[in-house]
Amino acid sequence: MESLDKQIRDKARELLTSGAFACVMGYERATDGKTARPLFAYTPEEAERFVFDQYCTHNLARYLINWRDNKKSVGIVAKPCDTRAINLLINEKQIDRSKLYVIGVACQGIMEVGWGAPTEKLELRCNTCSEPNPVLHDLLVGEFKSESPAAAKAYADVAAIEGKSAEERDGFWQEHFSRCIRCYACRQSCVGCYCQECFVDELDPLWVGIKVAPAENTVWHTIRAFHLAGRCISCNECERVCPVDIPLSLLNRKLEKDGLELFQFQAGMDASVTPPFATFKKGEKLGTGD
Amino acid sequence: MHQAISKQVLKAWLRDMMVSRTLRQAQGRLLIAPVAEAGMVMYRAVDKVEDIVFKFANTVLSPKEFFFPITDTLFTLRQKDGHPELVTPTMEKDAVLFGIRPCDALGLKIIDRPFLDEPADARYKERRERTTLVGLACSDACPECFCTSMGTAPDDAANVDIMLTENGEDYLVQAVTNKGKALLDGVALKEADTVSTSVVTPKKVPAENIGSAMLKAFDSLYWSRVADRCIHCNICSYVCPVCYCFDIRDYTSRGEVQRVRSWESCEAAGFTKLAGGADIRPNKGARMRQRFAHKLLYMDKQFGNLVGCTGCGRCVKYCPVNIDIREIINDVQKMAVEK
Amino acid sequence: MAIDGFEPRIAGFLCNWCSYAGADLAGTSRMSYPSNIRIIRVPCSGRVDPLFVVKAFQQGADGVLVAGCHLGDCHYNEGNFYSRRRFALLAPFLDYLGIQKERFRLEWVSASEGRKFSDVVSSFTSDLKKLGPRSILSPGGRE
Repeated sequence: MESLDKQIRDKARELLTSGAFACVMGYERATDGKTARPLFAYTPEEAERFVFDQYCTHNLARYLINWRDNKKSVGIVAKPCDTRAINLLINEKQIDRSKLYVIGVACQGIMEVGWGAPTEKLELRCNTCSEPNPVLHDLLVGEFKSESPAAAKAYADVAAIEGKSAEERDGFWQEHFSRCIRCYACRQSCVGCYCQECFVDELDPLWVGIKVAPAENTVWHTIRAFHLAGRCISCNECERVCPVDIPLSLLNRKLEKDGLELFQFQAGMDASVTPPFATFKKGEKLGTGD
Repeated sequence: MHQAISKQVLKAWLRDMMVSRTLRQAQGRLLIAPVAEAGMVMYRAVDKVEDIVFKFANTVLSPKEFFFPITDTLFTLRQKDGHPELVTPTMEKDAVLFGIRPCDALGLKIIDRPFLDEPADARYKERRERTTLVGLACSDACPECFCTSMGTAPDDAANVDIMLTENGEDYLVQAVTNKGKALLDGVALKEADTVSTSVVTPKKVPAENIGSAMLKAFDSLYWSRVADRCIHCNICSYVCPVCYCFDIRDYTSRGEVQRVRSWESCEAAGFTKLAGGADIRPNKGARMRQRFAHKLLYMDKQFGNLVGCTGCGRCVKYCPVNIDIREIINDVQKMAVEK
Repeated sequence: MAIDGFEPRIAGFLCNWCSYAGADLAGTSRMSYPSNIRIIRVPCSGRVDPLFVVKAFQQGADGVLVAGCHLGDCHYNEGNFYSRRRFALLAPFLDYLGIQKERFRLEWVSASEGRKFSDVVSSFTSDLKKLGPRSILSPGGRE
């Protein structure tokens, strides 16, 4: 079978030669010569730089919002979790499916990677992944997997926090939140965080002051996570980019876990399903306000 | 002959700094040193020498956070007996910053210009004057750093008060300034028997005349192409030992006002938003160019013979999408030649 | 075991059409309830953004009450159904972050239920007295 790189390059070249596409997004080699970084190819020549391997960690769907008002189509190389992100944007009517060409990659799992420091250890999100195949695609490259690798232990780390006492949980989060430098990389890397103006940037009312202190940081992290409740597709980009290693996936996946239990909903699986906060059932029992 | 300090004496010296020795140093000093925190190395105030990490590449945040903190209360205004009272915070005691790398020491030297040129920033000035810098030469080069191209070196003693270089079981000691000599006063130094330091040479970057090259590449489409993959987080500015932009706002509560200054980044959307809604750098390409033009061109124009980069490589390492200043310097030089 | 002299502060978000009127009725009927609650009138329990709740805790509230019309009685037909879904997810999330679930209450109080309003505030206050103060996130607390 042809290599992933060649299949992606061939298709990208074809799309860009057609004239209907403004750009194809994929991955190229990073400056460390080992890991990968996003590449935006505008010409067939640039498409020759595309690569795909287990270090292509970025969720490129995050960039689709930048092309929202573009007249031409765009192409995107998407891993299974990235295709869920695309579904999210389609569901929220942010992008037009007809102007999007998805080169779906059946995923072998992504390795933990920092610049210059690729590892052989699977990313957390891949250890807890329940969907190793793209949920939407126009072209599928790679080998389609028939079973999910690791759905059962998906929330063991969340349950471990739940098992602590309230004081311990408070201490755990305060320790992590006090380290936050509020660089907002978690927000900026997120597919779901596309608000024109984020609540944290609003001045009137002022929800979060500019002091970088635990009290302010806690409001930021609580609401950042909650604004993604029922929307987070667990690509875990936020945690990967965090320069001070705050375990953000423990927040996102707590909400995902509860969302599954309460509303039987998982974001991004199907763009036609109404998300949990946009609907309700009259007789449902939710444990709060029943 | 070189002076040296044994590792044991070094630890005892660090321990002594924290306690009172003379009447003038009645409280002892605040010791800031690299410590391990959640799997990372950070500069933190320590109270036990055992917590200090001596072997590390470099910290996540640069030590600028102790001179220009991420959040700084400039003053507090409150009512006292019906009259307004202005309280400006001051340092409780003198400080020692142990383990600063030459690149970060150069970073402080660079931001001395914007902060100490008159009118000087009082908070920064006090911290700078009352802190002694004890440098630690790098024995390993990180894959991302390029200090020798930016006017410093892994064992450069020019911008610290005392420089330590690992030499087998000892550290070579250079007392550079009077402040450094005073701190070493009474410490049992010895003569180094042999000198076998291993100081590394990081990779080179063509940074000569980068300012004029920047001018030529200024209007290139290149910047918006690099900005394509930029997610406009603030990581590069916050980990940088030189970036010094900030935002100021007032906190009001129960008859008390605090004026607070926090870090801000030119990469953030809204950084240049003006009253009325106009934005002088509205697109990603303009914001991207601003960061590099400020470092490589504007600082030189404003202060003369100054480049706003020390080659510490933090932005290279922590950028989530691999925007690599070394690659940009290379590309800019190439564009300048082609033009 | 109650902590001596501790008076909890409760932020109460009450819907304009039912619960606020219920609180009014409690007052005009001269029912007594603890003065620990600070009432904020909102158009509907569906208007209460989780951000309001988190912000109230950050500003030093020991407990937060959100009250609206009974399910099915919403002035806007379905606002409280949305509200319920939101807080059904928020309450365990706050608990996960260390703000015990006893500190947050979602209640349905109609305009005729002055007695119920007074009971809710009384029992919430006594529960919070047992839990003690939440100082960690308040501005005067740890920074």
